[in-house]
Amino acid sequence: MSNYTIERVKTGVPGLDELVEGGFPKGDTILVAGKAGTGKSTLAIQFLYNGAEQYGETGVLVTLEEPPRLIKRNMMNFGMDLAKMEKERKLVIVDLSPSKEVTPVTMGEFPSFDLSGLEAIIMSHVKKLKATRVVIDTLSILAYKFRSRDILREEFFKLTANITKKGVTLLLTSEIPEHHLGLGVFDVEAFLASGVLVLYNEKISDTLRSRSIEVLKLRGSKHSSRIHPMRITDEGVRVFPGEISPGA
Amino acid sequence: MADVKSKDESGSEDDDDSSKIVIVLFKSDTCAFCPRAEEVVRDTIRDFSPESFKLRVVNVSENPEVAEEFGIVALPTTMIGGVSITGIPEPEMLMKMIMGAGVSKMRGGKK
Repeated sequence: MSNYTIERVKTGVPGLDELVEGGFPKGDTILVAGKAGTGKSTLAIQFLYNGAEQYGETGVLVTLEEPPRLIKRNMMNFGMDLAKMEKERKLVIVDLSPSKEVTPVTMGEFPSFDLSGLEAIIMSHVKKLKATRVVIDTLSILAYKFRSRDILREEFFKLTANITKKGVTLLLTSEIPEHHLGLGVFDVEAFLASGVLVLYNEKISDTLRSRSIEVLKLRGSKHSSRIHPMRITDEGVRVFPGEISPGA
Repeated sequence: MADVKSKDESGSEDDDDSSKIVIVLFKSDTCAFCPRAEEVVRDTIRDFSPESFKLRVVNVSENPEVAEEFGIVALPTTMIGGVSITGIPEPEMLMKMIMGAGVSKMRGGKK
């Protein structure tokens, strides 16, 4: 057996490290996929917040969907004060949400573009903050912003490779549309990432839903192959590694 | 429209820009399509009267904060008035945008 160990970053989600051999491999791209309301954003932001709070790793949150003021309000509910963290320069929230007032109205697009703008914006913050954790929430929104999916797919590979090449661990969230069998609207989401977490919030009776989490893949790791219960508590997402989800 | 802090590449020496239509082209050092987009924009302006325009080219590699402010993630993007087009623009589309911005200016619109 090899003595080589992969350097890992703690997930910041209680119970999750135990499912992934102690943490995400440093410098990997991890996809957090799930239907609406499964807790993707909370888990991803918790990765940043606790990364800074508990492990001293600064982070960049790129929000393509939800305005920062709502993110801050919602996370405050779990006792995570993102505004304070921003003031302390441990975290930066990059607002690329559609709510920005100065964003021009798109007249259309020609299939001759790249995402080097997004990359430059993210990398400038990574450099300024010496960030080692980045979250893009959510990739799926770009499917509604741009029509040229082939270009986007190709650009995602470039983007994720360039963000992670110096050891930044990247979490991407992807919303799985209702009745969709894949992991997101682009059908390449799983290939983008070396690790995939899937979150569920399934109806198990007329009056009850059950949250759970599955580590679908994590290259180079002996991860759990079971579906485990997950709860959203007063302190955010918590995973129960010793239990198996009732629906599993 | 918020002010675009970038290199002003207007062909005109005139500082009174209030009557001019502002065209902002976002590009980057690594964007393969951007040089062609810039060419199309410059050629289209030339076909109109160049003194009616102020072209601002924002290199996002150097000024990422400007792209962030306007929420521009895809390049090239050309912004005229409050509207934008992504990719190498067709001259007809640019002209429509220019006309739209011109009409808006005549009406005193603040787009």
